[in-house]
Amino acid sequence: MHFSDLGVLSLILALGFAVYTLVAAVLGGARNSSRLVASAKRGTLTVTFFMLLASAALVISFLSHDFGVVYVADQSNSSMPWYFVAAAFYSGQEGSLLYWALMLSVFSAIFIFLSRRTSAALIPYVIATLMGIQIFFTLMLATVSSPFVRFATAPADGAGLNPLLRDPGMLIHPPTLLMGFMSFSLPFAFAVAAMITGRLDSDWLRSIRRWMLAAWTIQTAGLLLGMWWSYHVLGWGGYWAWDPVENSAIFPWLTATAFLHSAMVQERRGMLKVWNLSLVIASFALSIFGTFEVRSGLISSIHSFAYSAIGSYFLIFLCIIIVFSLGLFIFRLPKLRPEQEFDSLISREGSFLLNNFLLVGITFATLWGTLFPLISQAFGHLSETVGAPFYNQVDGPIFAILILAMGVGPLLAWRRTASHTLWHNLLIPAICAAICALILPLVGIRDIAANIGFTVCAFTAGAILYELWRGMRVRHSHGEPYPIALVMLIQRYRRRYGGYIVHLGLILLAVGVIGSHAFQQEHDASLKPGQSVTIGDYKLVFFGNADTTYPDVETIAAQLQVWHNGQLEGDIYPARELYPHFPNEPASQISITTENLTDLYVFLSDWQGAGQASFRIFLNPLVPLIWSGGLMMLFGGIICWWPERRRRRIVQTEYQVSREISSASRQALPTQADHAIDEPAITGPAMATVRADEEARTS
Amino acid sequence: MKQRRSLLLLLALVALVGAAWLAILFVAPPQRTLDQRVYNVASQLKCPVCQNESAADSSASIAEQMRLVIRQQLQQGMSDQQILHYFAVHYGNGILLTPPQQGFNLLAWLMPVAMFLLGLGLVSFVVRDWRAQGRLQPVTPGGQTNDETLADPELANYRAQLEQELAEDDPLFS
Repeated sequence: MHFSDLGVLSLILALGFAVYTLVAAVLGGARNSSRLVASAKRGTLTVTFFMLLASAALVISFLSHDFGVVYVADQSNSSMPWYFVAAAFYSGQEGSLLYWALMLSVFSAIFIFLSRRTSAALIPYVIATLMGIQIFFTLMLATVSSPFVRFATAPADGAGLNPLLRDPGMLIHPPTLLMGFMSFSLPFAFAVAAMITGRLDSDWLRSIRRWMLAAWTIQTAGLLLGMWWSYHVLGWGGYWAWDPVENSAIFPWLTATAFLHSAMVQERRGMLKVWNLSLVIASFALSIFGTFEVRSGLISSIHSFAYSAIGSYFLIFLCIIIVFSLGLFIFRLPKLRPEQEFDSLISREGSFLLNNFLLVGITFATLWGTLFPLISQAFGHLSETVGAPFYNQVDGPIFAILILAMGVGPLLAWRRTASHTLWHNLLIPAICAAICALILPLVGIRDIAANIGFTVCAFTAGAILYELWRGMRVRHSHGEPYPIALVMLIQRYRRRYGGYIVHLGLILLAVGVIGSHAFQQEHDASLKPGQSVTIGDYKLVFFGNADTTYPDVETIAAQLQVWHNGQLEGDIYPARELYPHFPNEPASQISITTENLTDLYVFLSDWQGAGQASFRIFLNPLVPLIWSGGLMMLFGGIICWWPERRRRRIVQTEYQVSREISSASRQALPTQADHAIDEPAITGPAMATVRADEEARTS
Repeated sequence: MKQRRSLLLLLALVALVGAAWLAILFVAPPQRTLDQRVYNVASQLKCPVCQNESAADSSASIAEQMRLVIRQQLQQGMSDQQILHYFAVHYGNGILLTPPQQGFNLLAWLMPVAMFLLGLGLVSFVVRDWRAQGRLQPVTPGGQTNDETLADPELANYRAQLEQELAEDDPLFS
């Protein structure tokens, strides 16, 4: 009896319980039987337990170096440090599927624990959908893609982890990204439940929005970690290559971003229901497509170590999902009429419409580029390559308009904005943009595309900071010092100001992307000791290579002395690492020195003994902004997501006031009033509307 | 009055910025270094032995040789387009990272544009439909939903009450 046998057993039991839970949940929902639903809840937790047990069995197999297990022997060996051995759990296909399924079961359990807040009619169908997905993955794990298959005779040692994966990033990037892909299951489950029961009320919307926000935040983290890893490990001086696998990770992120914005329109105005449901379904389908694409090897990608034959099963699953949700969708269409009419394009909802249009446009254009080689082949043409230049040219301008819209949108009121108010609000951001546009060419930045990009960023940053400033000024007028006013403002209106923080982070990130894309300098140099190379303000002098052999790895490090503007800065040691079993795949330790927001990026591309080395040297301006902007986006996402403290009194005022306003305007705003009762965060936009209206009158 | 003033100010700003840009770009067109030009050309070519990496990004020896060839050709005074053409002739169109804008490959470029226009049409159609519906059903007697009809005192009340409660709830004010 091995631990792997326990794993096999756990998987089969998890599969059995998942099937039972699905049936119990559907019956419980259809017959309105609370006992069956309660049983389904317990069934979900049981599935979670067995998935945990199966995962524990695999981890123990790894840590105890049980090389009788094929997967363990393929992915680890006895000389690897223990943390890489444990992380090898999700390094291959079988393990990453197990991790996916484990996370799904864990999130299902979290849903069960939080289900008090969900309306009772939805719960059984949410559970059933989650279990449906769980069954697919567990079935794959138990049959065609089992991590617990054993050799007839165990090898003495394993092959070890792919050198590319032996990086600290390995410990967090794959689990975060896989969790991100998985987490789109929950909004999807809510969407299915809503379509089956026909309950698309405000409670439902709040739940689905929260889960989507969580998924968005996790996926953002996964994407950022992927960029960081690519930058620190692959040695090509960049962080985003528009690789098919990278693209497939950004698809659900884009549609989720679109949903998070258009959901606000549904919340406030009861419109766009059909559209929002499609976005949720699309996000999930795209995340399954992403998981499928990584596995299938359908499209040539740098992630080729993950290829396998199970892609076709994913394709089938994807088809089932699409047909099933389309069927439900058509069945439920009559109930999805908008509750209110559209007033004006120059309004908050109009700007969200534009935002959605652009985000979906980017998704489509990127999807089209990713799939084009396949389409071209299908029509009997040569396999063409669609690479980074295509995406930069097609997506770049759309992103620029999107960022511009991000600046204008928050300045608009719901329903409609008087044009003079808009002009008034646009003035300060426009001045920011103009100053930026004037100064940049003067300081020697003469790339037109980059200048336009920076100007757009300045405009939007100006708009957001001005909004923040106006909020702070109101609180300051009550005697709060400015820093406290800022903190209180964010704490009080989390969704609004969390969103602004995300936007500011995105602008920082965009500035970093534009800067590093347009002003990157690259130089190849092959040096002998004593020779030097100059790039930008830097001069690098080569001293020689040092070769060190450790039990599990051989390291070749080149020594370079760095001079910046004629001053000695110190030594750097870009290195390569050779692992046994992988003599042709040396991993790299890239030297990155940051000064004045510019990275000096030195990659040791080749070496001959101790006396010769080839380097690829990059100067990457503004890349540090990408990481700080990314962190800011995560921070903002968490602020939006963090539960609100309930404040009854304000809430009541809000309710009364919105009633007064609605009666004053002789227009019932049922959704707005309903939400105001239990959603204090609504105060922010409401205040903005009021303020805009006031300004409209005074000016 | 104020509206027109800010509008004029905006227009003046735009004109000023445009003039400044044009002047600078025409007086001194941007100069790229040889390194930058090599990188720029190489980033439009595929590294033939790599998995989806450009000749600029890859550290494979063939990519290094390609960069060397590009450098020599640039030094000989060939234009970027000529060099790309040279590679396409010798290695086939597959070496280009962007599909050439001709024949079937034109589809790669036209499809996003077509979908963009289609989407724009769809959105405008839907919006018109919504607005038409809105006009058909008068919501309440008195119909017009105009923000100007909001009475000032009520707004003032709202603000006052809100601020007061915010203040009450704030540790700072208690």
